[in-house]
Amino acid sequence: MNDAEIMNLWSALEPPSRRRARIETRVFEWLEASETSIAGEWFALLKVEPLTALAYASLGAVVLLLSTPVVWIAGLLLT
Amino acid sequence: MISAATLAALPSARPLSWLLNALSVLFGADSESLAEDAVLELVERARAGDRAARQRLYRQHVQRVFRTVRGMLRSDAEAEDVTQDAMLTALTSLDRYSPRSGIRFAAWLTTIAVNTTRRRFRRRRPELTATGELPEVADPSSDPAEDVDLARQRAALLQALAELEPREREIVSLRYGSDLNATEIAAQLRMEPANVRKILERARASLGERIEALSKPRGAAA
Repeated sequence: MNDAEIMNLWSALEPPSRRRARIETRVFEWLEASETSIAGEWFALLKVEPLTALAYASLGAVVLLLSTPVVWIAGLLLT
Repeated sequence: MISAATLAALPSARPLSWLLNALSVLFGADSESLAEDAVLELVERARAGDRAARQRLYRQHVQRVFRTVRGMLRSDAEAEDVTQDAMLTALTSLDRYSPRSGIRFAAWLTTIAVNTTRRRFRRRRPELTATGELPEVADPSSDPAEDVDLARQRAALLQALAELEPREREIVSLRYGSDLNATEIAAQLRMEPANVRKILERARASLGERIEALSKPRGAAA
């Protein structure tokens, strides 16, 4: 067998497409994970987005403002 | 097998060539190997954070890495792990690659793959499988007779490789798996190029003889 024939035969060692896809998925998932900040990971995990968080905070503040006098009046009526 | 370059040269076959390219990209490999200048451009772009360039670089080289380490290791599973580790190391260390040192990117990547393989050797004594492994799942579009031929060739090659000395196996894997020349192999293994050529010549002869003997159908031997 000559050099070219062995070279050609060597292609039989190439990975099947499924294995190739698996390697690619793992490599790029790892790269993706290593490039994402820990804070980013947590935000993604908690599904918190800046605008949604701001909306929740505003809603919380309004509820607090409205409920404080109501609770105070209720307290006065009960005593 | 007809290469995509041959098909591209035929005007009537151009759509087929596009289809082949599209399929190969879909299945995670670039059919056309790029010139060194184009590879270096990809490296520069990948270093600058271009993810598409990084993926292209990966697809250009992953098969080469796999078939090189497969020649040195005992199973597809081990070759898969080593390929994965080597590609990750390379893609996260692109800043360390300097083309000015005169080393091709493929040769640099092969050094990483060989070092990763050696680390694995240190962890566990490798034993090449005598019979090789059949593909996990048959490709539904492929010809069963061709699959049997390929599996037979693969098994013969792995059997013949198992009978070589470890150093010979490493050298032939670098030569035929990574397409490195004797000078590049010598630089990788810190040997004299003349010595590499001598070992390569001897290993090629014994590999050829063994493969031919193993590839003959049973009962065909005189």
